[in-house]
Amino acid sequence: MKKFLAILLFVFLLGFLAACGGEDNEESQEDSKSNEESTEESSEGNAEGGEWTPDQNIEMVAPAGAGGGWDTTARMAAQVLNEEGIIEESIGVVNKEGAGGAIGWSYIANQEGNPHSLFVSSSPILLVPLSGQSEHGHEDFTPIANVIADYGAFAVREDAEWENLSELFEQMKEDPSSVTVVGTSSPGSMDHIQFVRFAKAAGVDITKIKYVSAPDAGGITQVLNGSADVFSTGVGEVVEQARAGEIRVLAVTSEERLEGETLSEFPTAKEQGIDEKFINWRGFFGPADMTDEQVAYYETKFKELSESEAFAEIRSNYGWNEMYMGSEEYKNFLDEEKENLKGLLEELDLLNE
Amino acid sequence: MGALDGIATGFQVALSLEGIMFVLIGVFVGTFIGMLPGLGPISAIAIMIPITYGMDPTMALVMMAGVYYGAVFGGSTSSILLNAPGISGTVASAFDGYPMAQQGKAGKALAIAAISSFVGGTISVVLLMIFAPMLASVAISFGPPAYFALMLLGLSAIASLSEGSTIKAMISAVIGFMIATIGIDPQTGTARFNFGSANLLDGIDFLVIALGLFAIAEVCYLIMNRDKKSIGSAKEIGSLRLSKSDFKEMSGPAGRQSFLGFILGILPGAGATIASFISYITEKKIAKNPDEFGKGSIKGLAAPEASNNAATSGAFVPLLSLGIPGSGTTAVMLGAFLVLGLQPGPMMMTDRPEVFWGIIASMYIGNIFLLILNLPLIPYIARLLTIPRPMLISLVIMFSFIGVYAISFSVFDLYLLLAFGVLGLLMRMFAFPAPPFILAFILGGMMEQSFRQSMTISGGNISIFFENNISLVLIIMSVLSFIFPIIKTIRTKKKEA
Repeated sequence: MKKFLAILLFVFLLGFLAACGGEDNEESQEDSKSNEESTEESSEGNAEGGEWTPDQNIEMVAPAGAGGGWDTTARMAAQVLNEEGIIEESIGVVNKEGAGGAIGWSYIANQEGNPHSLFVSSSPILLVPLSGQSEHGHEDFTPIANVIADYGAFAVREDAEWENLSELFEQMKEDPSSVTVVGTSSPGSMDHIQFVRFAKAAGVDITKIKYVSAPDAGGITQVLNGSADVFSTGVGEVVEQARAGEIRVLAVTSEERLEGETLSEFPTAKEQGIDEKFINWRGFFGPADMTDEQVAYYETKFKELSESEAFAEIRSNYGWNEMYMGSEEYKNFLDEEKENLKGLLEELDLLNE
Repeated sequence: MGALDGIATGFQVALSLEGIMFVLIGVFVGTFIGMLPGLGPISAIAIMIPITYGMDPTMALVMMAGVYYGAVFGGSTSSILLNAPGISGTVASAFDGYPMAQQGKAGKALAIAAISSFVGGTISVVLLMIFAPMLASVAISFGPPAYFALMLLGLSAIASLSEGSTIKAMISAVIGFMIATIGIDPQTGTARFNFGSANLLDGIDFLVIALGLFAIAEVCYLIMNRDKKSIGSAKEIGSLRLSKSDFKEMSGPAGRQSFLGFILGILPGAGATIASFISYITEKKIAKNPDEFGKGSIKGLAAPEASNNAATSGAFVPLLSLGIPGSGTTAVMLGAFLVLGLQPGPMMMTDRPEVFWGIIASMYIGNIFLLILNLPLIPYIARLLTIPRPMLISLVIMFSFIGVYAISFSVFDLYLLLAFGVLGLLMRMFAFPAPPFILAFILGGMMEQSFRQSMTISGGNISIFFENNISLVLIIMSVLSFIFPIIKTIRTKKKEA
């Protein structure tokens, strides 16, 4: 009897370990600790030689839980980088979830100069610090390369009174609070800000816009059942409903029409005389103080990733667009974008640096 | 293609050798993950996504769906045996399952859970097959006012969850409400009650609270009262054979709550956790002997178990027919669809019928597998309770800690777990019931958000709650539910007089 129990216990434990092992998390977290210790020597040693290559496993942090956009990007990029042999060292994806990314960012901020620890991020790394919810912003890290662009869309129910974005904004100029806008995230974050940006460009009083935040797919539901009027979201979230004729996309936030079936039917705001754009870019960063050689190494590798066929297929499945920017260009883009967003948040009284 | 042809195609896919194999892998992994506190279907499926890349999409999805409902099926095991819920959907199963196991009827409790889960799973899959296309409209029929009213109805049952003092139940619920407000407020984007700590910005995870209030508090209580009969003293696991009267007793709740759970599962945002609670409460309300609940009632176990499994199938309605993910797990599943080159939504049933019907048919088969897998294992799993008490206590503590750590890999959450353990112990010592706390926490957050969404939409006009038929009916039901117990007490008093 006792023997049986011991075996049962053992099986339980083993199974548990296996389950954890599958997540890569436990292991890579320990890896990262040893990373910290060995970093200094390796980076110094390599810097002298001119060319730099990683000499240990690379940790790729998704500053969010499993399953979200960052996590997907990190896992897919890691897979292609390894499987296509672009990077030899094995890349382990680690989830550092919490506080809209702030937990993950502060984790990386503590790894100054460690060239074996990268992370994926997008607009929230600009917006979250501006709203005062993260000590760290993009300035505290080394932008390595941007790889993906996503665009936003504004959609209404198919029987709504507005045929296009200009009509909607015309009405909102008269009475901004006659329209309820719904998005997934809270005020001051992406869904809200992208709408506000276009509304401002069209001359709407943005301080009076009624915005509701509805997580768990509440946004599309509320537009379909008529509780809210306009759904401000990523374009991928509305394609299928638009194809089925349930909703009408008033405008997408890209400068030019997107490619693809149904997608190409969505008008841009620019066509309608509203000269504004919003890109939900997504790319890779490293900790502060990486050497030029290290940055150059990763830049080339991410460019290879971006140009690979395997990644192109993943992009098209998810409806992402290609948008490669090298480190220098990326940094300038981010600085400029942050200034722009700062102005908007200030006007909305949401700035809290 | 008609629905019948579709179903036939679906079974062809699900009953192929490959289909059966992947269903089996899915439900097996799912059961296992469900049993371990903390590890849930979300992370399991997210990890599977890159692995399944390049696989036949239908098979990959059949397997992931199996993980999802398998986890809900298996999640009750640790709730019943250890008072440590495996996943959030099975917290309510501990209310009566754990007392039952303590009475030496662990085998029976697990059998009831397995059979109720099977009933819930099967009835809901049948509903899914017949009504999926039509039910899509149900999924989007609830606006913020209706959600608010639904949560209100759920909360109207707080008093009925108390044993003894109603005031203590209310106090317990108020604390639950307060805890639910911690974190970033979605409607304004400002942080509330986080005391400047980034760790609290996302609020507190439900499982941290559930494991603290139930598992940790329970082991503390045991250590303090070593001589009393409780966990680990249940040397008897009892027979898992159910008598005719047992079947009779569970058939009502399991049947009814399969329907209710399914409907609640369809609503985005509600999901298995809320469904299991609401089912538990409804059964208690309509029971002839509501006093049995919480003390090992068969009905009290069958109801949430049927309901959470039914809700899981329900969650596939908006996902498959609208492309709307109503919960964290279905959101990850949506990601899986996309990477496999499929777009769930209104067009899927016509574009890719073999995927649509294949998944549904596989769920039917998966439920049969789950029953076959689980029933014979019960005597072995239940023997966990015969482990000497000190070892069992350490095991519960270990699983709770690993489980919480696995949620977000945050050490801070471990301190929170301890804090809730202490709170749970104090509540127990002073006879404050924990279920109202838990209920207020899960319903409270959603109730507040939907209330404020409604207020923003209406510009602060309260009449929005009475203009919509669904919310009006639900509000009337909540009012009745508040008044009914009062009338009942007055009447019994009159009789006594």
